[in-house]
Amino acid sequence: MNHSEEHRGVKDAHGRAKQLIDQHHIEGLGAKEREWLDAHLQNCVDCSAVAQSTESALRGLRTVAIPFPSGLASRTQFRVRLRAQQLQEGEPRSLAVWAIAGVSWALGIATAPYVWQLFAWAGERLHVPKLAWELGFGLWWLIPALIAGGILLAEGPRQKFSSNWN
Amino acid sequence: MTTDMADTRALAEGLKRRDPELLDQLIEQYQHRLFRYLLYLTSHRERAEDFFQETWIRVLERGHQYDGKSKFEAWLFTIARNLVIDWQRQRKVQSLDTLTDPAQEHPLQIADVRHPSPLHAAISDQQDSAVRDSLEKIALIYREVVVLRFHEELQLDEIATVMHLPVSTVKTRLYRGLEAMRVAMTGGPA
Repeated sequence: MNHSEEHRGVKDAHGRAKQLIDQHHIEGLGAKEREWLDAHLQNCVDCSAVAQSTESALRGLRTVAIPFPSGLASRTQFRVRLRAQQLQEGEPRSLAVWAIAGVSWALGIATAPYVWQLFAWAGERLHVPKLAWELGFGLWWLIPALIAGGILLAEGPRQKFSSNWN
Repeated sequence: MTTDMADTRALAEGLKRRDPELLDQLIEQYQHRLFRYLLYLTSHRERAEDFFQETWIRVLERGHQYDGKSKFEAWLFTIARNLVIDWQRQRKVQSLDTLTDPAQEHPLQIADVRHPSPLHAAISDQQDSAVRDSLEKIALIYREVVVLRFHEELQLDEIATVMHLPVSTVKTRLYRGLEAMRVAMTGGPA
């Protein structure tokens, strides 16, 4: 092995050691890799210093003291309980809206053929263009969804406002 | 079924019921970790406090979405992170509106997070000054993964879930973040 190959080999070993030091902290090491790293660190002052500075940086991060704001937990608990109460109060109303919309739709489906005939008959009697009474039928079908959607849309901003009250 | 899984399932059931006792207990249990994460994420103490409260309101409102299959803290951090991202998006829109709307006389005041060193004020202990200074030098995308991995001790796949990133990207950021932190701690530019 000539001098430059030897030099490259040493450089590779340092690079591998540094990579394994990081890997140890990030993903963990296999037994063979650990064995190789331990042996290298015992003989290499530079890589040993890198390992120590990494260890020290992470220890510092883990033990850093961040004071928790006093009263924040209890303020949060209060807000959460208040919001839970609001949601609980709003639940039966939302359920009622959905139930009414559901029943309306079920009835709408059941009676659709008859209503279609009724619209056709009324359109013919009143000389309303076919497209117009067909649109009227479509609108009649959409009414429960429009009402339910309107109520729920009106509920949305109110709930958002009350959840942002402080 | 392991005890951990049974615990998270029970937690999911409680969240679905919006059990107030459970929520009180969770707020107490995770208060330090959540606040710390939000502080690292926002670099602003008051803002972190606001997000802290909003996160728990979201936990209450969307508790039914937690399935108990993953760690609760990973789900909690995801909610907190999404709130911060939503806020940052809104802030960008608002600042653009301010620029384009001359009629707006009092635009929303948003503190410049770079001045004067908000993390500096939050982490007050002198002993921790080296950590604080080095964290400030690390770019946020690396700081976040470093904090989640080494401070909050989440697994790589959990971090990937929180950040909506592939595990490979999380790993890349961790390697770079660790290097940046090491360099910053030894006094060099990160």
